[in-house]
Amino acid sequence: MKRYLEVFKQCMYSAIQAAAAYRMNFIISSLITLAGNILFPLVTLLIYRAGTSFPGWTLYEVLLIQAVFTMSSGLSSLIFGGVLWTTMSHIREGSFEVILLKPLNPLFFIVATTFSTDSIGLFLGGVALFIFSVIQAGAIPLLFWLQFIGLFIAGTAVLAGLSLMMAAMSFKWVGNSRISELADSVLNIGKYPLPIFPKAVQAVATMIIPVGMVGFLPASALLGRVQARDFIAVLPCLLFLAAGVWVYRHMIRLYEGVGG
Amino acid sequence: MMPVIDVKHLTKTYTTYKRGAGAGQTIRSFFQREEVVIHAVNDISFAIGQGEICGILGPNGAGKSTAIKMLCGALYPTSGEIQVLGYSPAKDRKRYVGKIGAVFGQKSQLIWDIPPIDSFNMNKAIYGITTQDFKRRLEELSELLDIAHVIEKPTRVLSLGERMKCEFVMAMLHQPDILFLDEPTIGLDVIAKVKIREFIQQLNQKRNMTCILTTHDLEDVEELAHRVIVINHGEKVFDDSLQRLKLFLGEKKRVSFTFADSAGKTVFNNAYTKVIDRPSDFQITLEVDTAQISISDFLEDISRKHRFSDISVKELPIQQVVMNIYENAEGVPG
Repeated sequence: MKRYLEVFKQCMYSAIQAAAAYRMNFIISSLITLAGNILFPLVTLLIYRAGTSFPGWTLYEVLLIQAVFTMSSGLSSLIFGGVLWTTMSHIREGSFEVILLKPLNPLFFIVATTFSTDSIGLFLGGVALFIFSVIQAGAIPLLFWLQFIGLFIAGTAVLAGLSLMMAAMSFKWVGNSRISELADSVLNIGKYPLPIFPKAVQAVATMIIPVGMVGFLPASALLGRVQARDFIAVLPCLLFLAAGVWVYRHMIRLYEGVGG
Repeated sequence: MMPVIDVKHLTKTYTTYKRGAGAGQTIRSFFQREEVVIHAVNDISFAIGQGEICGILGPNGAGKSTAIKMLCGALYPTSGEIQVLGYSPAKDRKRYVGKIGAVFGQKSQLIWDIPPIDSFNMNKAIYGITTQDFKRRLEELSELLDIAHVIEKPTRVLSLGERMKCEFVMAMLHQPDILFLDEPTIGLDVIAKVKIREFIQQLNQKRNMTCILTTHDLEDVEELAHRVIVINHGEKVFDDSLQRLKLFLGEKKRVSFTFADSAGKTVFNNAYTKVIDRPSDFQITLEVDTAQISISDFLEDISRKHRFSDISVKELPIQQVVMNIYENAEGVPG
């Protein structure tokens, strides 16, 4: 365990050093990621300014969902964001053996070495939006905060599981670079109050591909709008992460390298 | 002697698809693909003892790299058995790879954007090397490879030779028992090649380290290997000492000339030389049997007849070696 912590520390240091080597790239990438991801709350603002709304949800409640979604995406992208692209490029170039030559869990090593400093901007943008929206929500009891933290972690687990599953597919379908777009489309559901969707979509987004946990449910916990049965959705989230880890580790066996 | 590497009936098969050439075949292959089974490594067996340097030779696409990747635990064999240091490389990968080092000439373990010293520090953490041991080993290796002045520069600004030396440090910091080298001198200039070969020899002599070396450069094998395995089309076609390989090869070199005057009327074929290529009267490549005439005598003889502006002396290409092995399979001298 101590060795793994030491490796993780060294990887963080290397990632920061690499980012510092190309400072302007780091700043521009962070800004682009931030702009691309936090502009969507403006659409919400426009909807409410135009006099329409998501029934039963105030503007700040919807913004809070979207802030939690952005924070969760930022955190997941910071830690797991590089796994998909790095795995894909290692497989296409046949250099995955460099990972397999290390006496470590390859999944851990690839996660540690792909710490994505570009996503710091996204995470901090999410935090800023979160602070802004949560202030509007008034006093929040400690219990709600604890529920929020638990559900937020579960939501981040969903995103991590999704990244791992997509990365694992690269072992079988090499160069499948647009798969992330499919995942993004499914994830979009988590940016809005789930009750606005049909019942079937709500069920899928809670229990099968639990994207509702990414933004909607943790924000609802802060607002005191979750029910006891909503906590059952934590289980599929953890199962989703476990499935991602299992699929990735299993797919490594399919690695074939490229001609020497 | 107990072998440290024991390989029995090793096979690796890939399934790929024939895509064809041209627009028509490409479109057809999009809907209907013909499956092609490739035997990258086909029923290979061998054993290697402690302290041996074994060269695995073969033309491009022969299956050398696939074989070495299976020995490193990076690829699962389709069938057959591998035991290295008592481990099954792919199954016991995590424990096993801590005991070996590997340098892949075409795949870097260094982190591109930061100096090699930081990549070395990464390996220090990965292999749990103590600070004291790390400092001592790094100092030793830096001195042997003469890289102390480059390890704090970003990797991307280093020359290929400098990077390759740093790759060796990466592979050696944890003091492995076996070193796997996949084309370690590919693309290097003569000076860097000599330095790398000297380094491998020193490791072998000082630490009795076992080295497995894949290459298609005969010079690497001549300089380093005690034993040679030749692979062609995934099959082992030769497994014996370097001396015995030389019996197949004969003492032959390829000499290419660019003449300053026309050599159109000169007859080069004789008892000890054979014309391999003659694109013009000014350019010619000859195969010289150095068992019958020394290179210096041969050059003296040629320079009496013609002036030349350029010359290169090379080993026989590996394709020729494989051909010689096939041709002489039943009548090996000695």
